[in-house]
Amino acid sequence: MLKYIIEKELRDMISSTKFVVTFAICAVLILLAFYTGAQNYRVSQSQYQAAKTENLRQLEGLTDWIMVRNFRIFLPPEPLAALVTGISNDIGRSVTVQGRGELATQDSRFSDEPVFAVFRFLDLDFIFQIVLSLFAILFAYDAINGEKERGTLRLTFANAVPRAQYILGKIIGSFLALAVPVLLAILLGCLLLPLLGVHLNGDEWLRLGLMIFAGLLYFGVFLMLAVFISSLTHRTSSSFLLLLVIWIFSVLIIPRTAVLLAGRAVDVPSVDEIASQKNRLRSQLWSEDRKKMSEFKPTQNGDPQTMVSEFNKFMSEAADEREKKMNELASRLNEDRHNKQAVQEKLAFGLARLSPAAAFSMATTNLAGTSMDMKAHFLSEAQAYQKTYAEFMQSKTGMNIGGGAMVFRMRSGDGEEDVEKPIDAKELPEFNYAGLPLDRVVGAALPDLGILALFNLLFFAGAFVAFLRYDLR
Amino acid sequence: METTSTNEAVTNHAVNSPSQSRAMLAADNLTKRYEDGVLALDHVTFEVNQGHIYAMLGGNGAGKTTTINLFLNFIEPTEGEARINGIVTHKEPLRAKEKIAFVSENVMLYPNFTALQNLDFFARLGGQTGYSKDDYREVLLRVGLQEEAHNKRLKGFSKGMRQKCGIAIAILKDAPAILLDEPTSGLDPKAGFEFIRLLESLRDEGKAILMSTHDIFRARDIADTIGIMNQGRIVMQSQKSDIAGEDLEKLYMKYMAGYMEQVN
Repeated sequence: MLKYIIEKELRDMISSTKFVVTFAICAVLILLAFYTGAQNYRVSQSQYQAAKTENLRQLEGLTDWIMVRNFRIFLPPEPLAALVTGISNDIGRSVTVQGRGELATQDSRFSDEPVFAVFRFLDLDFIFQIVLSLFAILFAYDAINGEKERGTLRLTFANAVPRAQYILGKIIGSFLALAVPVLLAILLGCLLLPLLGVHLNGDEWLRLGLMIFAGLLYFGVFLMLAVFISSLTHRTSSSFLLLLVIWIFSVLIIPRTAVLLAGRAVDVPSVDEIASQKNRLRSQLWSEDRKKMSEFKPTQNGDPQTMVSEFNKFMSEAADEREKKMNELASRLNEDRHNKQAVQEKLAFGLARLSPAAAFSMATTNLAGTSMDMKAHFLSEAQAYQKTYAEFMQSKTGMNIGGGAMVFRMRSGDGEEDVEKPIDAKELPEFNYAGLPLDRVVGAALPDLGILALFNLLFFAGAFVAFLRYDLR
Repeated sequence: METTSTNEAVTNHAVNSPSQSRAMLAADNLTKRYEDGVLALDHVTFEVNQGHIYAMLGGNGAGKTTTINLFLNFIEPTEGEARINGIVTHKEPLRAKEKIAFVSENVMLYPNFTALQNLDFFARLGGQTGYSKDDYREVLLRVGLQEEAHNKRLKGFSKGMRQKCGIAIAILKDAPAILLDEPTSGLDPKAGFEFIRLLESLRDEGKAILMSTHDIFRARDIADTIGIMNQGRIVMQSQKSDIAGEDLEKLYMKYMAGYMEQVN
């Protein structure tokens, strides 16, 4: 019996013009998302390579490592960000490393190319979250009450059909009819990825598989919800209206309201406020050091090289002292901000998870490595690199130059200019960005996958119970 | 006329009470009061044997569809019971439904399916999995649906064509009892005539048929037993032979008026 109902549901949906048109659009959108994602990835790759080359080119001609300033490291494009962009286009893609001090990301894709910020990229997150959830509603809002309005429900239940099997068959049949064509389009897109220049490794394929699984769970949530609402109402117009309202709240209102409420509930000092406090201390420390610099007296042996060396040592020690004080304040302010931000984010995400759309978005961005963790991870990798960079500079210059130093050019008295060898920029340690590890991204996505599964279960149970009590007349 | 009172206002013309025989379809003091207090069916008792057609006559709200809904277990009785081949419908609905086919007033099948696909699905639901396409075609031709329509989608079918598909589904189920809810309503005279002839052939095959209708003349033409219903009660129940010489329309009006007077 279950088999006949599933078959009927599949055939009924697939044979409708609505289905053909809708899924033609859907397939085009999915393939377009894969294509534009791959194109963006290739553009980002070439921009990344060009920026790295230019960064090293700027060091050409320098003859002393002490002259190296503003060395930049870059965030390499993530292949999966091509499919779920997350915050990848909003955060800075480079960090200037000086050897000491705080790091900040700069030059986001959207700040460089604001037109893309106005018309955001079409990605799988958008297609699932907006388009496919609407399709699920469009096809299932009349799953039960539509059969009642048409009169087929009476005819069906004039036979020995158990209600439980009927609702189960309806849900399975609808899910298969709608999910299989979506999956086929996605699989086709996946096959095209290598041809479009996006090469995923084993971990990334696994993450992509989990992203598609999250998409199916999310799709299932709206399908079950539609069947549930359809089993609670007797008119298709009522269920459609109700589902549309729920969709608007779930996809558009709840996530934004959650962030707004969390922002109101937890007051996080702004970056500008913190920067202002740091600048005040920095100015104060500089003015103190300037006074010390004016009082600086070298040992009286008259050797200029020794004098420069003593001065640089003095400057380095002063910079270390300043940095120590700055770091103390910065770490206190940053920790305070970080803690408050963590509470705010926890609250915002907790509230937002009332919406399956938010849970889906968080799951997929975590799996794609383009979640909120992306920026923090890039900065943490940059911090680690800064230590290596500082050690390298120490070995080359004898000091950590991040605090500033004076360079004196000494010329011999015979009028011939010293021939100085340029530095070899390739000696600089390379920044090898390691993306978020698989266990961390999967671990971060699991709670949201669980929430989506729970929504499925709840709405399935709701549809099941509501239909067992449904008035078949 | 012999009269047996099954409730105060009923005139029963030599119709067996359910307790006396094992009929294919039996309503025994069948009562339905809805949650809002409306008494839709009030101690209705009748039976339909194999090879017989029972026509329930009555106006809107008389209780005809409620009776059918109780036989199909779409609602549960407040009192009494409906039985199909001795099986109490609200106690063993699935077993009872194996013995019954149903044709509604306005047969609505799946519009995206062809006639053959609709027949295939409902035949399987009815437990008949051994039919071939030729069997479906044969039944469709029997009910008068032209061959060129067999592979067409239902969305373009007229009401008469859909009714033919509905009766084809009932035939395919091959159940011993058939329920028909206003089956000729809205059909043109030719289609109505063909439909009645088809019911006669089904009766001749031994099916027990319970039909609700507004159509006094068709009821008189085909029914073996006629029950006139008003306000949830059967106010007259008679064998066709007992009222052969009478004007059924006058009888209908008389019982309706008489009952109304009694009620008032």
